Amino acid sequence: MRVVNGLARQEATLLQYQSTQGIGVADMAVQSDVMAAAGPYDRAKALSAFKLGDITFYWITRACAISVLLILGGIILSLIVGAWPAIREYGFAFLFTQRWAPSADPPVLGALGPIYGTLITSVIAMMIAIPVGIGIAIFLTELCPQWLRRPIGIAIELLAGIPSIIYGMWGFFVLGPFLANTFQPFMIRLFDGVPVLGAVFAGPPSYLSLFNAALILAIMVLPFITAISVDVFKTVPPVLKEAAYGVGCTTWEVVRNVVIPYTRVGVIGGIMLALGRALGETMAVTFIIGNSFRISSSIFAPGTTISAAIASEFAESDGLHQSGLILLGLLLFVLTFIVLACARLMLMRLEKKAGN
Amino acid sequence: MTDLSVSTTSPSAAIPQKSLPEAAPKVTARNLNFYYGEHHALKNINLTLGTNRVTAFIGPSGCGKSTLLRIFNRMYDLYPGQRATGQLMLDQTNILDPKLDLNLLRARIGMVFQKPTPFPMTIYENIAFGIRLYEKISKSEMDGRVEKALRGGALWNEVKDKLNASGLSLSGGQQQRLCIARTVAVRPEVILFDEPCSALDPISTAKVEELIQELSEDYTIAIVTHNMQQAARVSDKTAFMYLGELIEFDDTSKIFTSPSDRRTQDYITGRFG
Repeated sequence: MRVVNGLARQEATLLQYQSTQGIGVADMAVQSDVMAAAGPYDRAKALSAFKLGDITFYWITRACAISVLLILGGIILSLIVGAWPAIREYGFAFLFTQRWAPSADPPVLGALGPIYGTLITSVIAMMIAIPVGIGIAIFLTELCPQWLRRPIGIAIELLAGIPSIIYGMWGFFVLGPFLANTFQPFMIRLFDGVPVLGAVFAGPPSYLSLFNAALILAIMVLPFITAISVDVFKTVPPVLKEAAYGVGCTTWEVVRNVVIPYTRVGVIGGIMLALGRALGETMAVTFIIGNSFRISSSIFAPGTTISAAIASEFAESDGLHQSGLILLGLLLFVLTFIVLACARLMLMRLEKKAGN
Repeated sequence: MTDLSVSTTSPSAAIPQKSLPEAAPKVTARNLNFYYGEHHALKNINLTLGTNRVTAFIGPSGCGKSTLLRIFNRMYDLYPGQRATGQLMLDQTNILDPKLDLNLLRARIGMVFQKPTPFPMTIYENIAFGIRLYEKISKSEMDGRVEKALRGGALWNEVKDKLNASGLSLSGGQQQRLCIARTVAVRPEVILFDEPCSALDPISTAKVEELIQELSEDYTIAIVTHNMQQAARVSDKTAFMYLGELIEFDDTSKIFTSPSDRRTQDYITGRFG
């Protein structure tokens, strides 16, 4: 029995061997090319070729990523080097001095005016642009009849494409006079004598003011907020909205409790992008803000922002004055960084609150 | 084919114990038609959902079961181009009345979806949210209601220590029971289940089915399912639909043992669909 078994096994191995070889020696010669192409040896060679490609690719992408760090570091470094004379001269007093007298002897430079103007215009711009921008996004995604969707969507895209210099001209020639003749006198009269608000909306009306600049900024950043909000609102699964409608929510409640919480990270991202643009926007603001370094309680008074101050003075500056302007630039850089960091913190808080 | 033996034996085992008398009608459809734009999706549907009974809807994909369910709470209203004609009554209220307050209608007719849909908030808030839409109650009262709803959804013991965790952190089966608890919390009269177990594992499915049975003591239930054993296990009445028509509507035991229509017979024996 065992012998038979052994024999059978031998035979089987032989058969197997023949079948793996498959063919006679004569055929081997003909087929050798094909075998080589598909053989294990060539696969290894191909793999090593891929490996080289992989390594090259890895280093190219890595170089691209590192270049961002290098550029960022270089900009910071050159800003610090350029600003060094001013830092040494004024120290922290630069932050708290309102007077800006580059032609005095010695020049007196303080950044309080531009910092105040930058923050105030951005805050007012965001106060206008966030509700309007998100409102448009909600209307477009939840309420708008189909035929109206495209025209409004295209209009918003076009709004984003208008160069800032055109906003500046329009603000200077059209919006500024219009506001000074209608809206500003109305607000000044309305809040006359009211504590705090009376000072915020104090006269006289002006073609060039913080408020005008903020309104232009609001119009400029609106498309960012709307476009990003529309995109993220569209990612809400329909069934989730149906579930909310299913417990009897109104459209407002669905948006408030489901759509916005579900998309908050994206919406806040859009707002931050907009805020970043508002903080740094230069051309339109330089046109209509009035370039006054004096701080006034009224938002209808002329003022200046960091970027507007740099843009309007840099060409004819030298020495300490130029260094002071570069220091202003560095401050804008830091300001933007702080704002972005705050946004991150806020997001983390929100996520914790939602229980993630 | 193997379905046949199970589905024919289990209802005859389950139904006779209940031996239910004919229930008062809760939802009544008469000559109900539905259109997706030009497409005539439901044709002359006539049926009644009995009060505190479970009615199952079976039929091959695309036969209009889910569509019918979405008419009951007017969910189709969210989408342009979809319309229903005919008559659909919830007690004395005409559901199809264009002037009807949809929010109040949906408070009376709750819905549980195929995929679990917890809201992006904590477990506690997922329940409290719906209650808050209709009632102003104190924090302690709300705590009680949330606990009651979670118990009603057979979920309390699993989540009582992490009510402030995100609803999305639960497993699929737990999420689905959270959605059922959320629906129950609003105290509806009718609950619609649209294939509630199709995304769940067998154990979660068993839990949800058990839950449906318990809920049927207090609520009128309509359930769409692709699983015929499930229809046989949980329902009192079964409606078989095919190509937008209601082919047969009868006691579950009758549908699964001696259906009167040839097509019903073919479907439940697995010959098509």
